[in-house]
Amino acid sequence: MKTLVVGLGNPILTDDGVGVKVAYAVEEELGPNIPENITVTEASVGGLRLMELMIGYDRVILIDAIMTSNGHDYGHIHELSLEDLRQITPTEHSASAHDTSLITALDAGVHLGLHMPKEFEIIAVEVENVMDFSEDPTPAVAAAIPKVTEMVLDSLRKEIIVH
Amino acid sequence: MKQRITIDPITRLEGHGKIEIFLDEEGEVENAYLQIPELRGFEQFTVGRPAEEMPRITNRICGVCPEAHHMAATKALDALFDVEPPSVVKKIRELFYASFYCTDHTVHFYALGGPDFVLGPESDPAERNILGVIHKVGVDIGMEVINCRKRNHDIIKMLGGRGIHPVSGLPGGWSVAITEEMRKEIEDAAHKNIAFAEFSLKLFDDVVLANKDYVDLIVSDAFTHKTYYMGTVDENNHVNFYDGMIRVVDPEGKEFLKYHSKDYAEHIAERVEPWTYLKFPYLKAVGWKGFEDGMDSGVYCATPLSRLNAADGMATPKAQEHFDRFYETLGSKKVDGRYQPVHHRLATHWARLIELLYAAERMLELATDPEITDPNVRMPITTTPREGVGSVEAPRGTLTHHYKTDENGILTDVNLIVGTTNNYAPIAMSVKKAAQSLITKGTVITEGLLNTIEMAFRNYDPCMSCATHSLPGQMPLEVNIINADGEVIETVSQYID
Repeated sequence: MKTLVVGLGNPILTDDGVGVKVAYAVEEELGPNIPENITVTEASVGGLRLMELMIGYDRVILIDAIMTSNGHDYGHIHELSLEDLRQITPTEHSASAHDTSLITALDAGVHLGLHMPKEFEIIAVEVENVMDFSEDPTPAVAAAIPKVTEMVLDSLRKEIIVH
Repeated sequence: MKQRITIDPITRLEGHGKIEIFLDEEGEVENAYLQIPELRGFEQFTVGRPAEEMPRITNRICGVCPEAHHMAATKALDALFDVEPPSVVKKIRELFYASFYCTDHTVHFYALGGPDFVLGPESDPAERNILGVIHKVGVDIGMEVINCRKRNHDIIKMLGGRGIHPVSGLPGGWSVAITEEMRKEIEDAAHKNIAFAEFSLKLFDDVVLANKDYVDLIVSDAFTHKTYYMGTVDENNHVNFYDGMIRVVDPEGKEFLKYHSKDYAEHIAERVEPWTYLKFPYLKAVGWKGFEDGMDSGVYCATPLSRLNAADGMATPKAQEHFDRFYETLGSKKVDGRYQPVHHRLATHWARLIELLYAAERMLELATDPEITDPNVRMPITTTPREGVGSVEAPRGTLTHHYKTDENGILTDVNLIVGTTNNYAPIAMSVKKAAQSLITKGTVITEGLLNTIEMAFRNYDPCMSCATHSLPGQMPLEVNIINADGEVIETVSQYID
């Protein structure tokens, strides 16, 4: 089974980079002997490009920032399934910038017969600030990084023995 | 009753792009604009850092066009360090950039702009996306889109050093030289890109131009604005994405300005309005006359359509044929040897495909240039840096980077005018016009309101993704109609249950 760990976000936009920072930490923990079937990467892309990155993998662990309006504390860790993502993507057509949604892109990938992952784990951290340029996340989000990193490593350990 | 209508996407990223429509006392549309979130503190973030980090920092600004920021930053460094890149470096950069255009224009047509036409503007929004396009035109074409993007992403990675955030740009140089083996791969990709671009233009012909309703829509007054147009041109006044002079033509097509990007501040000013933090650039020499089109208004536009309008033609033969056909088909007459501008905003989608073909042809020219494998891709730097401006045509408009440093090359001042910024005023005008067609005397025809407004701004391909990524992804639109007392009197939203 080929697994892709992808940290999403912009690492110089305060909390937006939480996913990328987790990916860096996971990479560091895995050390130089990352098993061949695991790829850890960062990305600042959505939709189609993100889907394209996933081609050929069986399983994806996606780490991202999220802002919900449900009164969650900053730093709260959400574990979502692809189905959850589908639920919170109520339309495929909107004011969005330059792309299509990940769900639509994944559906398109499957429809095209591309080898798309079957298993998705999505970990999203409730963030406070994604509008100011800074390399440093806010304290609550910074505190979530080691926790999420451990969650990702745990998930990887289920399949392989991490060195 | 004074009303304010807000179209507000509900998303994890608040303010990711929302539309506000203001009604006057009579209930007519007074003003409208697309709110684009402003990321804060970029200048403070960069000041104090070495200037040579800018190509790597600025490509983090945006997840959509890191290649454009990387290139504008690299060119700003050329100017800052006063170093002329060798000819081969310019060619490699342009080749890299053309490949980027092939991916970027492709995604816009097939995933964003195209669905309105391929499936129809009245089609179910749930279907009006790339998946719907694939259903309509077939899996083979869907694979062509994916393959086009893949081969060009491979080249971007090969020449840019990284897949998503390129790192190859150096002052006066480029850190990757092209071997014969690489050259062959690029040449092969370029041939395929040309075939794909020609196919896409044929698809546009068959689906859009062959349908009278669509042509009527394109040329309709609701999607027409007579503004000034900006674009970068080469020494023959042909469209160029990588380098050249900035040319501005007036609404009748006469050259109004032609300047080096280092002089941008002499020609472009920014209007501040009390109701938004957005700044609206305009032509200084004409002046700000409000959100108006016409010869007396300094509003200009910088898009694929603008680039074609600002140029006398395309630098490659096949693209030139389509250029001629574009203007002939849309009824433009030649005056003093050049076509008068096409003002129909929806024609931007067609112009984008002509640019796609040009990018593909240019790639082939550069990939077969005998000099392209010259390994001398670095230049020594001997001067003390002070100030530099670099610009490129980003897919969404002219992109300008301006840096000042101390004598050690540490940044003291940074100013960027990003592609979409140029088009803030035209976008506001287009949203207003679209809203006017469906809102009169306080009566809102909600059916189709969102679609019409979306079509009006989508052709500009406005970039709001500076916050980079997307979870959950795209956002639903919601229209709130709010009266003068701040009460929501009606809500229209585009949800799928």
